[in-house]
Amino acid sequence: MMITAAICVFGGLAALATLLMIFQRNPVKAALLMLAALLATAGIYLALSAQLLAILQVILYAGAIMTLFIVALTVTPAAWRDKPGPALIKRVIGLAAAAVILAELLKLSTALKAVAASPEFSETGTLEIARLIFGPFVFQFELLSLIILASIVGAVALTAKRRTAQ
Amino acid sequence: MMDFFEANKDILLFAGAAAVKVLIFLNAIMGFTALLTLAERKVSALMQDRIGPNRASVFGLALNGLFHPVADGIKMVFKEDFVPGRAEKLLFTLAPFFALVPVLALFAVIPFGDHVMIFGYKFDLLIADLPLGLFFVLALSGLAIYGVFLGGWASKNNFALLGAMRGAAQMISYEVVLGLTLVGLLMIYGSAGLQDMVRAQGRLLFGFLPAWGIIYQPFAFILFLTAAIAENKRTPFDLVEGESEIIGYFMEYSSMRFATFMFAEFVEIILVSMLAATLFFGGWQVPYLYDPGFIFPGGQTLPLNHYIVAAMQVGAFAAKTIFFSWLMLVIRWTLPRFRFDQLMNLCWKTLLPLALLNILITGAVMLALGKI
Repeated sequence: MMITAAICVFGGLAALATLLMIFQRNPVKAALLMLAALLATAGIYLALSAQLLAILQVILYAGAIMTLFIVALTVTPAAWRDKPGPALIKRVIGLAAAAVILAELLKLSTALKAVAASPEFSETGTLEIARLIFGPFVFQFELLSLIILASIVGAVALTAKRRTAQ
Repeated sequence: MMDFFEANKDILLFAGAAAVKVLIFLNAIMGFTALLTLAERKVSALMQDRIGPNRASVFGLALNGLFHPVADGIKMVFKEDFVPGRAEKLLFTLAPFFALVPVLALFAVIPFGDHVMIFGYKFDLLIADLPLGLFFVLALSGLAIYGVFLGGWASKNNFALLGAMRGAAQMISYEVVLGLTLVGLLMIYGSAGLQDMVRAQGRLLFGFLPAWGIIYQPFAFILFLTAAIAENKRTPFDLVEGESEIIGYFMEYSSMRFATFMFAEFVEIILVSMLAATLFFGGWQVPYLYDPGFIFPGGQTLPLNHYIVAAMQVGAFAAKTIFFSWLMLVIRWTLPRFRFDQLMNLCWKTLLPLALLNILITGAVMLALGKI
């Protein structure tokens, strides 16, 4: 009972924050609302006693990725100026498109429900995850770090080239 | 009515005990924080050959400045609460809470003692015994950045934003080192629960040496303390907000909002001290003191009452915390400030490789000793 209540509260918070984020015009405030949604999702994981998942959600998404987002967004001119809203026709078209996507998502979610309800879907401890990552999947795991390294070097190289060209 | 209590005795007892623990522990921390603001001024006075604050008095009783934290608090409450005209009002108000709340929440996982038996019930002397306590610490300390950054941005002041950018860069960088220095301890203790780690530090090495974290990981301790002070934004890493020279992220703040930022910084000193004590100096462990009493390596024993043992353990934890808090105050008034490029070089080119090296060596030694 308590768990269901906690899930409903955190789920509601996440949905509310996401909706507010979509309708927020200021990019920094939108990013903060997304942060709220991410933290609420971490709360859902915690209520399902998936502690590691909750903590990783906070460390990676809320602590690292959103920080970089917000730092980058605050220095954009849009964060310092109030922009007027779009024309009425644009709003109507936007809302119509959103309604279509929502309907599609609802249709998909019924199929997902069956998968998520299966009892095999359960949280495993840190040790079990570590055994899997550094055991049978160690090659893929190390390969992933190489790919990330390559993308970092690529990003730096791309931006550096643009600066010398100016 | 009685049936309800009987039926839910366990959960009611748990909730009541948790509430009492939160009240006692947080009040102790709040009181200690207030005293720490006085200690900061006294230590600086001592090191600069001054007397320091000693004038605030109640009915002519000054007690060498003991009432200054109270006087400061009253002054802060009655100062003008200024909000810049262009500021984001809501976020401007929220920013101090973003700075304070994650820090306060972290005390929930810090064990301040082993356990006490009251009326036959066993009470663990920590608020939440999370099996992943160490990750919880890292997760919440990562959220402390938002207080700094929102404070700078919501003020809508370019100088405040510059301070916030410096702060964000510094805190993101040192957070990486902070996390990596603790990996060695994770490998040795094989658990991320802070209470488990403290219990493991009660063992003896070679029959006489307490197996504290500092013995296994002396190098990681120095890295941890450096990164933690940097994460705490204190001298020599106070480029984020040097009160006297550099304008920082809370330049538009006044009154209690400003006080909350300052308070968060002092609470963080205690938090870092407690973490250093817990992870590297045995937490509440007193060498050779176990549940029945002292058991010395020579074989002599000194049986002690359970409550005396518990009180000594809590006292040992408090003493270690006070020692590290004092150490951080002394460091603050001894070292000059780094330049920003020096700060970043220290983090990415010195501390980070050393932290990785520490993990490598720890792993190699454990492999050589056959501990894996």
